[in-house]
Amino acid sequence: MEDLDFFIGDEALQAAKGPAYSLNYPIRHGQIENWDQMERFWENSIFKYLKCEPEDHYFLLTEPPLNPPENRENTAEIMFESFNCAGLYIAVQAVLALAASWTSSKVVDRSLTGTVIDSGDGVTHVIPVAEGYVIGSAIKNIPIAGRDITSFIQTLLRERGEKDTSLKTAEQIKQQFCYVCPDIVKEFNKFDSHPDMFAKYIVETVNQSKLEIDVGYERFLAPEIFFNPEIASSDFLTPLPTIVDQVIQSSPIDVRKNLYKNIVLSGGSTMFKDFGRRLQRDLKSLVNERVAQSERLSGTKSSGVTVQVISHKRQKNAVWFGGSLLAQTAEFKSYCHTKRDYEEYGPNIVRNFSLFSVP
Amino acid sequence: MLQLQPQNLLVEEAIGQAFAPDYTPVFLDRIITDFDFTTYHLSTPESKTKLLLSISIKCWNDLVNYGVKELLLSKYSKYPFIQQAQPEYGYDYSLYIDVEQATFSDEEEKQQLIAELSLLKRNCFAAPFLQAFQRYEVLSKEQPVDPNNLYGEDSPNNSNEQVLQLHYRDMESIYIKPSNDRVTVIFSTVFQDDTDKIFSKVFLQEFSDARKRSIQKAPQVINSHQEIPLEIKHLEAANTHNKTYITFVLFPRHLSTEDVKWNSITHIQLFRSYFHYHIKIVKCYLHQRMRFRVNSFTKILNRARRDVDDEEHRSERKTASGRRFEMRA
Amino acid sequence: MMISRNENERVLIEPSINSVRVSIKIKQSDEIESILVDKFTRFLTKRAENFLILRRTPIPDYDISFLLTNYHNEVMMKNKLIDFIIEFMEDVDKEISEMKLFLNSRARFVAEAYLSVFD
Repeated sequence: MEDLDFFIGDEALQAAKGPAYSLNYPIRHGQIENWDQMERFWENSIFKYLKCEPEDHYFLLTEPPLNPPENRENTAEIMFESFNCAGLYIAVQAVLALAASWTSSKVVDRSLTGTVIDSGDGVTHVIPVAEGYVIGSAIKNIPIAGRDITSFIQTLLRERGEKDTSLKTAEQIKQQFCYVCPDIVKEFNKFDSHPDMFAKYIVETVNQSKLEIDVGYERFLAPEIFFNPEIASSDFLTPLPTIVDQVIQSSPIDVRKNLYKNIVLSGGSTMFKDFGRRLQRDLKSLVNERVAQSERLSGTKSSGVTVQVISHKRQKNAVWFGGSLLAQTAEFKSYCHTKRDYEEYGPNIVRNFSLFSVP
Repeated sequence: MLQLQPQNLLVEEAIGQAFAPDYTPVFLDRIITDFDFTTYHLSTPESKTKLLLSISIKCWNDLVNYGVKELLLSKYSKYPFIQQAQPEYGYDYSLYIDVEQATFSDEEEKQQLIAELSLLKRNCFAAPFLQAFQRYEVLSKEQPVDPNNLYGEDSPNNSNEQVLQLHYRDMESIYIKPSNDRVTVIFSTVFQDDTDKIFSKVFLQEFSDARKRSIQKAPQVINSHQEIPLEIKHLEAANTHNKTYITFVLFPRHLSTEDVKWNSITHIQLFRSYFHYHIKIVKCYLHQRMRFRVNSFTKILNRARRDVDDEEHRSERKTASGRRFEMRA
Repeated sequence: MMISRNENERVLIEPSINSVRVSIKIKQSDEIESILVDKFTRFLTKRAENFLILRRTPIPDYDISFLLTNYHNEVMMKNKLIDFIIEFMEDVDKEISEMKLFLNSRARFVAEAYLSVFD
């Protein structure tokens, strides 16, 4: 039976190595493109891994910002008609990332207003959220993310003629050794005066022998492409702090202060040490410059703008973590649409979900 | 995926990692679901090398009556580094696994333990089945099978035999009745959705027919809608609205050796989930077909679209009374 | 104007001054077929925006209605529109019976797969 013969996730990657299966990606750029495959993906997720009868459970799904409402309806159609889910809530990923930041001690007021910087493997989004609603017109995407950092490391390794320059090695080096520095010129000097800053990465090859790979300036140069993109690419040149500033400046004026005050990081490519600190410093200097200029021009004193970037422990899987916080609350079921609602009002009920709050 | 897997993959993965030689102990706090309102909780409350695996099952009290505790003790007490703990709050049964103390004579033993732990739910549900199988062995010795019973009817002597009951879901139960020449397992199940109800009839018909047609060695399957099977008439409430009953008759060949017994137990437990799973999968497939068909209809309709506002078309335009437009130059 | 093969299969065509409404009752000989027809027509009407001529709710006693207005005649070729409706009627019957066959064969396969494990 052809429609039962497939794998998902890591097993799919394994199976694709053989001749019998081919690899497909039902989601492209964060949006579902192949509904047939997505339906099968959910089949396996629910019955093989989660092992649950969907009729017994409420489901929380997430979507990227600006997902067309038709996609929500198609999702609801599958969830309710194929799987008979008891209830469904579709949350926007950026909003869950904000909720996840409430675990940080820096967050005091637990608001759903803030700027989310979501950087995964393919693309980095900067998303302003005001009181739980995404300000769609102000969102900006940056074509620099995890994959670009890895390939930048790979290029550096190749230029130096290291013995192993595979993507996997570059990926490992990125995860284990890279960090964000306050100033590259000083950092270069530091490396030259302290040779112990250079590290070694050991690769085990297939035939049990060990290769030693030198890890040098890429330790701080690789994540630097967020702040100085010109070192790696020639077609995209705006640094991340400038983009964040532009995004907040194009949001409505009454929320801007709060957007600067609560900048939340999410996704694996924001995990570099001191990433948040550098972003906060660069952004602050941009903002202070503007404040000083407007004070000079108007002659009045500004009340000042607080810029705060929030890093926390759950940053890597912030969206999932925010979702699990929400789904564990006693009120979660009351925010969901149930199968009965769906049958009574039709699929367009999922165009709107009430906003949640986590106590 | 055709068959559902009896073990819980997420438990298997976590335990497997903990026993791996290069394991770096981490803080764990995971809640893992399983079918039929079963929940696992895997945590490290004391230290990172002491795993606490707890399980909660809806029908735990039924299982206790049928000796689940003794069964689990016999399964896990042979490992010195596993201790039965006071059940964690909110759970029914807990095991403490001391990863640091774990020693295995070989890789096979390790894999076996990982499998047994990921099959914890199966092991719990096995208790009543094992008890019924034991009773069957007693009965079959007391009262040998009548060779003249050509039609394979259940002997009337067995009608007073106690029926084991598991109320494992809100409206659904499993009944197990041992006899001298068979063990009868009856599932009662409910379909909330109308489409599912109709599809389920097609499936059940095939379950009943399959044995006659090709698989003679399988258990006999009898299904009835809304009508309570005789064996459990005195147990089910009269309100059987929407309930469907599926009876499996396990014959001596399904109860012969230990391996065969465990195979039957593992497999029959999954029946309800398997049945409901495949009804959902068939709906998914039909949706995929319909999506395709809708697309092809759209294509046919789009073929009818006019590309340009051509001359011939313009001359076709007329008013309701049949008068034509004159184009003025 | 009504064209019918029998009580269960009929087409109603209602002309008016500026439009034609075509309603179809699809053959449903048993419970399974009617549930399949119901599912399929719901699937179609949910995507009605792609089908310019499809009405979101059929008229009573029919499964699906098309409304051909003056506007549709403007943007589409008349003979091709007629072709579409005829092709639609043929294909729907075929699709429904294929789905029913599929359901039966899948049920058989699933049942045998389950029972054969006991061997």
